[in-house]
Amino acid sequence: MSSPDRKPTPDELSAMAYVDAELAPQERAAFEARLAAEPPLAREVARLRSLSLLARQSAPSEPMDHEWARLEQDPIQKASLGLGAFLVLVSSGGLLGWALYAIAIDDKLETVPKVLLLASAAGFGLWFLAVLRGRLRTRSLDPYTVVKR
Amino acid sequence: MIITTTDTVPGREITELIGLARGNTVRARHAGKDIGAFFKNLVGGEIEEYTKLLAESREQALDRMVSEATALGADAIVNMRFATSLIAQGAAEFLCYGTAVRLAPE
Repeated sequence: MSSPDRKPTPDELSAMAYVDAELAPQERAAFEARLAAEPPLAREVARLRSLSLLARQSAPSEPMDHEWARLEQDPIQKASLGLGAFLVLVSSGGLLGWALYAIAIDDKLETVPKVLLLASAAGFGLWFLAVLRGRLRTRSLDPYTVVKR
Repeated sequence: MIITTTDTVPGREITELIGLARGNTVRARHAGKDIGAFFKNLVGGEIEEYTKLLAESREQALDRMVSEATALGADAIVNMRFATSLIAQGAAEFLCYGTAVRLAPE
């Protein structure tokens, strides 16, 4: 085994460049001609190729966290998600408000069921807002929101 | 606190069995994340929304188990196990339990 402090020889550097496909076409052709005539150089190339294969096999099977973060920061992705959520929220809220307004002004509906329907809707709305307020007040005390995976 | 899934702590002697230590939680993510997860179900791939949900639950359950074992005066938790169940759509229960023990001094 070679010492980690030993500097690679010019032949070893050429072999590394060859395995990493970094040689220019003319240099590659010349190096391949040498490979055919020099068994030690061919063995070095075979060793580097097996190392390269091993490195690929032991590489992380998925992008690192910073790669995921970069993908999530894509402006088109962020804008599409934001606009989609905005449209869904606004249109759903508008539809609900319009339905409640239609019930409120409906002359055919008797007063008692009308009041009960509106009171029920108001109750659900109030209940939801209370839960939402509770969550927003305690969110800063919840240390688990920063856990990624 | 030593936590291990084995029934012994290698190199350490268990001098006292204190009892069960457990921690659990049920967590959910907001409806927006559920909608995103629904779309992921259609197109495939990892549902990060739920990966994060389970990771949050796992860490909280673990911390609660450790807090309980610490309160019981334990040095270690052996035979630690995780269990999950579905409480409601989009909510996950995570249960973490093990045997709290006291170890002989090193």
